Amino acid sequence: MSDYNIIGKRMPRVDSRAKVMGKVRYSADIKLHGMLVGKIKRSPYAHARILSIDTSKAENLPGVKAVVTGKDTEGVKWGVFGYTRDQQFIQTDKARYIGDEVAGVAAVDEDTALKALDLIQVEYEQLPAVFEPMDAMASDSELIHEDFPNNINIHVNIDTGEVDENFKKAHYIREDTFTAPEESYFQAEPYAVVARFDEDECLEVWCPNGGPHMKSKPLSNSFKLPLHKVKIKKIAIGGAFGGRSEICPADYICALLAKKTSAPVKIIFTREENTIATRQGHAMITTHKTGVDKEGRVLARDTTCYMDGGAYSSTGPIATTVPFLSMEQAYRMESVRYNGYRVYTNKPIRGMIRVHGRGFACGLDTQLDMIAEHLGIDPVEMRLRNSRQPGEYTNTKSLVSSCAMDETIHKAVEKSGFKEKWGKLPPFHGIGIGTNSVQTGFPMGIRGGSQSFIKFNEDGEATVMTGVVDNGQGNDNMVVQIAAQELGLLPEDIHLVSADTETTSSDPGSYSQVSTFVGGQAVKNAASNCKKKLFDVAAKVLKVEPDTLKAENRLIFVKDDPEKSIPIKKVVRISLLNFNSVNAEGGYWPKVDMKREWVSNPYGQMCEAFSFGTTIVEVKVDPDTGEVEVLEVTASQDVGKALNPLVLEGQFEGSIAMGGQGGMLTEYHEWHEGRCVNPTMLDYKLPLACDMPKINNIIVESIEPKGPYGAKEAGMSIAMSAAQGYSAAVSNAIGVHMDSFPLTPDKILTAIKNKKQQDTAK
Amino acid sequence: MEKLQITLNINGKDQALLVQPNDTLLEVLRDELDLTGSKESCSEGICGSCTIQMDGKPVRSCLTLAMEAQGTKIKTVEGLANGDELSNLQQSFIDHGAVQCGICTPGMLMSADALLSETLNPDDTTIRQALSGNICRCTGYSKIVEAVAHAGKPEKSCPDCQTKE
Repeated sequence: MSDYNIIGKRMPRVDSRAKVMGKVRYSADIKLHGMLVGKIKRSPYAHARILSIDTSKAENLPGVKAVVTGKDTEGVKWGVFGYTRDQQFIQTDKARYIGDEVAGVAAVDEDTALKALDLIQVEYEQLPAVFEPMDAMASDSELIHEDFPNNINIHVNIDTGEVDENFKKAHYIREDTFTAPEESYFQAEPYAVVARFDEDECLEVWCPNGGPHMKSKPLSNSFKLPLHKVKIKKIAIGGAFGGRSEICPADYICALLAKKTSAPVKIIFTREENTIATRQGHAMITTHKTGVDKEGRVLARDTTCYMDGGAYSSTGPIATTVPFLSMEQAYRMESVRYNGYRVYTNKPIRGMIRVHGRGFACGLDTQLDMIAEHLGIDPVEMRLRNSRQPGEYTNTKSLVSSCAMDETIHKAVEKSGFKEKWGKLPPFHGIGIGTNSVQTGFPMGIRGGSQSFIKFNEDGEATVMTGVVDNGQGNDNMVVQIAAQELGLLPEDIHLVSADTETTSSDPGSYSQVSTFVGGQAVKNAASNCKKKLFDVAAKVLKVEPDTLKAENRLIFVKDDPEKSIPIKKVVRISLLNFNSVNAEGGYWPKVDMKREWVSNPYGQMCEAFSFGTTIVEVKVDPDTGEVEVLEVTASQDVGKALNPLVLEGQFEGSIAMGGQGGMLTEYHEWHEGRCVNPTMLDYKLPLACDMPKINNIIVESIEPKGPYGAKEAGMSIAMSAAQGYSAAVSNAIGVHMDSFPLTPDKILTAIKNKKQQDTAK
Repeated sequence: MEKLQITLNINGKDQALLVQPNDTLLEVLRDELDLTGSKESCSEGICGSCTIQMDGKPVRSCLTLAMEAQGTKIKTVEGLANGDELSNLQQSFIDHGAVQCGICTPGMLMSADALLSETLNPDDTTIRQALSGNICRCTGYSKIVEAVAHAGKPEKSCPDCQTKE
């Protein structure tokens, strides 16, 4: 029997009733009295000097309330790190990609605002532009940012030593290069922001965010306002997938327009703007050189990756590192060297995405399969010989405490029938396996911890305050579940106040897979402290010691004598009559190595827990059309502890859709001289209900000692391993190890044709 | 542009409205009537987030002019429940975990509701085809398909069907 009556149960989400009734408000749904429509003027050129901007005609158009340009700004540059501050929210000197912000307007309606955009006259001098990282590094024309030579934005170098010596000892060495172009999030909600200054001159903002505190700081810097005067408000969010983590120039422009007009302003992005002017996934060119011993164990690996970062830094140092981290977490390597280069190009800005580095990860697993084939080992055995084990350290010195990687492999293999199918399937019918690992959090300095407050009301219900944000994945429900479990209440007794910078404490946000581990744990600790107060009062009434008590279903009772009980509501009232309010705070700060830094010192404890996932995919390929039919997907992840299997399965299934079905078969961007030619849902092919295969979910629980109830990252290891499983299955079906992703019909047909020619030549 | 007086029957109620001839039904629902349950996501008739029903048929309100909707019975997500009482389909979406971020949910419900009013026991393929005009980026569709299949018809083997005792 589980010790928990709410944790671990298939509990429907607390936010779903309002959502099925169409009552939930997202940023675009907000209406405020006297609200204006904001629009952004964007650069039509990929690289151009701004010579002059004439706004007079736009300003004179009836209905236009304000026009803002770089002149109205304080010239503050934004960057996630001190050394990456390279982006102005409105450009003053030059535009660096097609879509870069050059001006903003606020008008009484959308038609007027759009007309005003056309009336803003910008004189540009076009500059030579670069669109590929290799060209950008070699270019001798004007740098995109003058203080970054060779257009290299970030260089991450990791070297654990002995790589060259170990290559000499290797029995077999392979070097292969893998590529994948950019992909996009396509959150269902196009970006939208509403801003106004209230009567106390506080800036209020509603917008999708991966953590409200990540929005308030840059806005406070830009407007030179103290943090308490920047209020990022709680609002429903329509998906993030890594693409809502940072400040968006539109947040600033909207607030600036609100300031200038003394009215609320709303900017809603078009679908095209959401694609080009928020973030995208990086295109990457990755070369893995791997040396193994006779048994296939990795002795040395030397990986070099060139990432197309687009026009600005964004989360550059993190983005340059994470693909490497997933590799070193998932697989043991006796020695490793990594050189990651994030290169500026005149294309939209790249950030973190759910499958960060699909070409990197799929390349790694493809190469493992190639080595296994050479050594006569099957792919499952190859992974088991190199898989991460609990209690080990990664190459960059992170202790991996809980780890059930092998169990995820074994269970997925059994469920999918991999052993029975491997090598025995008919032509153009294949099966493949992918394994990966994702970190539960990044070192985030002063924003790495979370704090929660809980107060009881006299009716025995509780208000929980936390900075945890819900992007759609179900974090609100997670918090309610934890609070209800810990306080001995029912979920409906919990009132949640969350993700609001005015009322809730700083929190690391939802973009490093850490909401449950850190934010949830802070709530658990606050609830536990609150419960202690209740138990002290109840113990006196029941004439027992506090440590003999348990709280459940609104009652506090003696564990060994459940008849002896008192309602929580009564305990609260007794406490109030004795001049004690029942409230408490609690926090959680992960014990990471604060000296670890992405570029200057990439060694030390990265985070406290890592998740591990295995996905096995079975496909059929049509050799005449190159189309892939996915028959079955089996996904297995070590999540530590499943707090809510219903919600967790939804994360697995969504991960397979985005990482595998979309990410490996159809999703990528196409370009013409820096212009994205498929920014809309019509041209960019997202998976539909009719495309999705049968999915088997397998939850593996390793009970992470430091996680709340044993929980850690859940879902993303599936997204990553799904990409690898899909690519492995297609490669297996056509008998060609693919090195360019995603695996679209044209590439598959070419591979089949080339293989046929080679086979005939033999 | 000159505004015209029209009457639309929405969720069983006649509404007199002043609209521009080029106003879409979605704009009128959201901006004039504050029925913001219907969402604008792709703006080009691909994603289905704006799906409403006209005379029981699922229609994309972002591609429909308000003028065209005169004389039809329009139903939006706000009209699915009977007051506070949810329809079987809505309850099934909740119970099966078919809702994540929630932007596609209203359109998904309107397409599924139209399907269920025509077909009593749609099979998996029929449901998936009927929902293929609605893009969901969060769920991978499994739970949505299950929710539609089990709406008002609880399956004993399903851990998420609330079997009424």
